[in-house]
Amino acid sequence: MKTFEEKWTAWLDGQLSGRELVEFESSLPDLAAAEAEKRNAHKLGAFLKKELGSQALSNEEFFNHQIHERIARENGNPSRTTRSTWWTIPRLVWSGAIALALFLICSVAIMRQHETGGQSEYLTQILNSTVDPAANPNATVAIFETKSDNKVTVLWTEGLQTLPADYAAK
Amino acid sequence: MQTEATPGQADVSELDLVKRCQAGDSEAFDQLVTRYRTRVFAMIYNMVHNEQDAWDLAQDSFVKAWKSIGRFKGKSSFYTWIYRIVMNVTIDWLRKRQIKAGGAEFDDSIQLKEIEPASKTVPKADPLPHQRMEHREIRDRIDQAIAQLSPEHRAVILMKEIEEMQYHEIAETLGCSIGTVMSRLFYARKKLQTTLKDVYENV
Repeated sequence: MKTFEEKWTAWLDGQLSGRELVEFESSLPDLAAAEAEKRNAHKLGAFLKKELGSQALSNEEFFNHQIHERIARENGNPSRTTRSTWWTIPRLVWSGAIALALFLICSVAIMRQHETGGQSEYLTQILNSTVDPAANPNATVAIFETKSDNKVTVLWTEGLQTLPADYAAK
Repeated sequence: MQTEATPGQADVSELDLVKRCQAGDSEAFDQLVTRYRTRVFAMIYNMVHNEQDAWDLAQDSFVKAWKSIGRFKGKSSFYTWIYRIVMNVTIDWLRKRQIKAGGAEFDDSIQLKEIEPASKTVPKADPLPHQRMEHREIRDRIDQAIAQLSPEHRAVILMKEIEEMQYHEIAETLGCSIGTVMSRLFYARKKLQTTLKDVYENV
């Protein structure tokens, strides 16, 4: 069973015919007013069609291109994203660890070199000359170094027979 | 229904293009987009009244169509099928926007008399200097009137009056009965007739 709204719409759009049309029109209290409203509705339809029917799409080719790109992106991206995530994080961790290790090795090496370089050449030469077993067979040499900022080094020698001429007190 | 097909493209049947799309041929889909893009865009634009939003929604609709083209069985025309997607996307968007805006944008319960009779969009008695401006003003009035309809009522009146679709096609597109379509059409027409009477009778 059609409602009044459905019958009215069908009548307006010319979809009623035969007995249905006669019955509907006879059920209207004011057919002339209904006909006027029908004409109004048609006017409205034509007006809407005229005013709204010409909305153009600008940049049509770009519209297609953008859809093409989106489809390509959505087809290709998920696996690529997953893979890149899997590969990037360990790579970053390893890079960081290696960089840190290199930094530590370099720092230790530089510090050691610095400490060695801090020992005077004078001391090295004395040591070299005193440990000559031929010249000083009973000599013992002990070295004490402080690790403080003053860098005090104490050289303790015992049983030294001769002192190299270069280092003798003048 | 009219499409944008060029003479070369017209030789290729829609069903062939759809089959090629289902096999993963994006070039075939490109041809389908070309055939329907203007109509789809215009339909959405008339629903949302914003060019950028209409562009985005049309894009979303076509991308969605590509993703689900495997499920197209050919029981209806491709046009009806894609229109269904377009309507779902657009009506969803309008509903979400309504929620965000606190439901203020459209409300079928709004009485027509609440529209400000002296609002700035009412055509002035004096003729405007430029015809374009006049057209813009008319367009604004139409947009304002359509904006007062619910998304479903907008869809029905636009598909009937602009696209000249049959009741059963509209019903299929919106996933409702023919009776519902006719009923919505009845109320949408009544409302627009009252709101736009002064405009369409003077143009």
